[in-house]
Amino acid sequence: MRMDSERQVSTNDALIEFRKVDKFFNKPEEGRYQVVGDLNIKVRENEFLVLFGPGQCGKSTILNMVAGFEMPSAGEVLCQGKPIEAPGPERGMVFQNTALFPWLTVMGNVEYGPKVRGVKKEERRQKAQHYIDLVGLQGFENSFPVKLSGGMQQRVGIARAYCNEPLVMLLDEPFGHLDAQTRYLMQDELTRIWQAEKRTVIFVTNNIEEAVYLADRILVLRNCPTGVKAEYEITLPRPRNYTDPEFLRLRREIDSVVDHTL
Amino acid sequence: MAEKQKRVAFGALGIFIFLCIWYAATTLTSLGKVMPDPITVLAGFFTAFVEPIGTHSMIMHILVSLRRMLIPYFFGGVLGVLVGILMGWYKLADAILMPYIQMIRPIPPIAWIPLSIVWFGFDEGSKYFLIFLACFFTIALTTYNGVHSVDETLVRAARMLGAKDNQLFTSIVLPTTVPYIFSGLQVALGSAWATIVAAEMIRSSEGVGWLIISGQEVGNMTQIMVGIMAIALTGLLITSIMRGVESKLCAWTVRGK
Repeated sequence: MRMDSERQVSTNDALIEFRKVDKFFNKPEEGRYQVVGDLNIKVRENEFLVLFGPGQCGKSTILNMVAGFEMPSAGEVLCQGKPIEAPGPERGMVFQNTALFPWLTVMGNVEYGPKVRGVKKEERRQKAQHYIDLVGLQGFENSFPVKLSGGMQQRVGIARAYCNEPLVMLLDEPFGHLDAQTRYLMQDELTRIWQAEKRTVIFVTNNIEEAVYLADRILVLRNCPTGVKAEYEITLPRPRNYTDPEFLRLRREIDSVVDHTL
Repeated sequence: MAEKQKRVAFGALGIFIFLCIWYAATTLTSLGKVMPDPITVLAGFFTAFVEPIGTHSMIMHILVSLRRMLIPYFFGGVLGVLVGILMGWYKLADAILMPYIQMIRPIPPIAWIPLSIVWFGFDEGSKYFLIFLACFFTIALTTYNGVHSVDETLVRAARMLGAKDNQLFTSIVLPTTVPYIFSGLQVALGSAWATIVAAEMIRSSEGVGWLIISGQEVGNMTQIMVGIMAIALTGLLITSIMRGVESKLCAWTVRGK
C-alpha cells in the first residue's frame, strides 16, 4: 500500500504511468512468453503521445493495459495515481477494426457511453450531436455503420470515445485498415479534432510518417519484450507538412533506431 | 423489385412445367394406375374447401392442424430461447444440459409416439409433446450459437464505454443473438409443421395429417395427395410470413448482407 502523499506526487506529473511493467502471455506452443519487459512510461496531461514500433512488438498490449482489458504480470499501471483494475469510461478506446455496434445507428453508437452511464436522453442526445458535428458526420445520424465508408466508420469510433469525455483517448492503429488517401485525410481530421477539444492521447502506430505527423512525443519501442528504446519530442508547428525538410530529417533519424524485422 | 418479380415468375413456370410432366406421366404411362393425375388432385383440393372430408372442410382441417402446431411451437420457442441463452451465458448450465440436448435431439419424433401416448394420452397432449420436441432443440441450439458468436471486441468496447454486466447482456448479447433466434425459429417452424403428420397418426379425426392417414386407411389415393398438397401450401405460406417478419425486425443484418 502506498501513502496518499506519494499518490499526490505521481498525479502531479503523470496522468498515466507505467512502473516497471512486465507482461507475459501463455501460448500453447511456446509456453510462457514475455511481451512487455520493464516498461516505464509517464504520459503527461493533454499531450499527444505516439507509441511507435515494428509489427507485432506488443504495442497493443500496452494500450490494452491502460484500457483495463489486460492486467500487468508485474509492476503497476496507474491512472491519476490509482492502479487500473478494469475498463472504465475515463479511458476511451478507438479500435483498429472500429468495433462499432452494427445494430445501432451512428447516433446510437455515439450516445451509447452516456446512455449506459445513465445520462438523460435529452442531455446525451445533445452531447452526441456535438461530437457527431465535431467529427464531420452531420446528416448521417440515422445511418447504420455498414452503410458508411471505412474513414466515416472510424470518425464514428472517435466520436463515440470522445462522447464519454474521457481523461485519456487510446487509439490502436485506428487508420491501419484505411487506404493511403483516406489515411492522410483522417490524420488531418484527428489533428483538427484534437486541437478543438484537447485530450490526452496515446496513439499506437507502425507507420513512421503518421507518428511524426501527429505526435507531441514519440516513444520508439523495441521488439519483444517491448520496452522504450528511444524518445523524441516533436516540436514542429501544426498543421505539419510531410515533405518539410525537418519532417523528413526526423523521419530518417527515427527510422534509423527502429528494429527492422520480418 | 424486377429481380423479385423474375424470381416469382420462374418459380411459377417451374411449378407449371412440373404439373405438365405429372399430367403426361399419369395419363400416358401406367403410372396413372398408382397415382391420380394433377387435375383430379387440384379439383379434390379445391372442392374440399366447400365439401367436407370427414367432419370438416379443408379450411378447418388446416386451422385445426395450425393450432396443434402453433401452441407447442410457441412454448418450444420461448423455452428454447431461454435454455439457449442460459447455456450460452453460464458455462455450468452448458456443461450440464448440453449432453442431454445432444442425445435427445437426434431421436426422430415418431420414436416418441408410444411413450407420448402413455404419458399424455390419445388427445391433444401427446400431439403437443411431439411437436414441442420437433422445435425446442433446434431453437435452443441456434440461440446458444448466437450467444457464443458475440464479438469479443464489441464486449470490450461496451465495457470501455461503461456498460455493466446486465447492460452488456441487453445491449450486446441480445442484439447479436436475435438473428440466430430467428433462423432457429424459421427452421423449427418447418420441422414443427412437418411433424404434424406424425402427431396426427395418434388417434385424431381432423387435421391435414389425418387426411393422409385416413386416406391410407380407406385406400383413397386422391385424399392422400390432397393432404400432402395442403401441408405443402400451408408450409409455404407460414414460412413466407415468418421471413417477412424477420426482415422487418432484423433490418440491420438484412441490410448488411
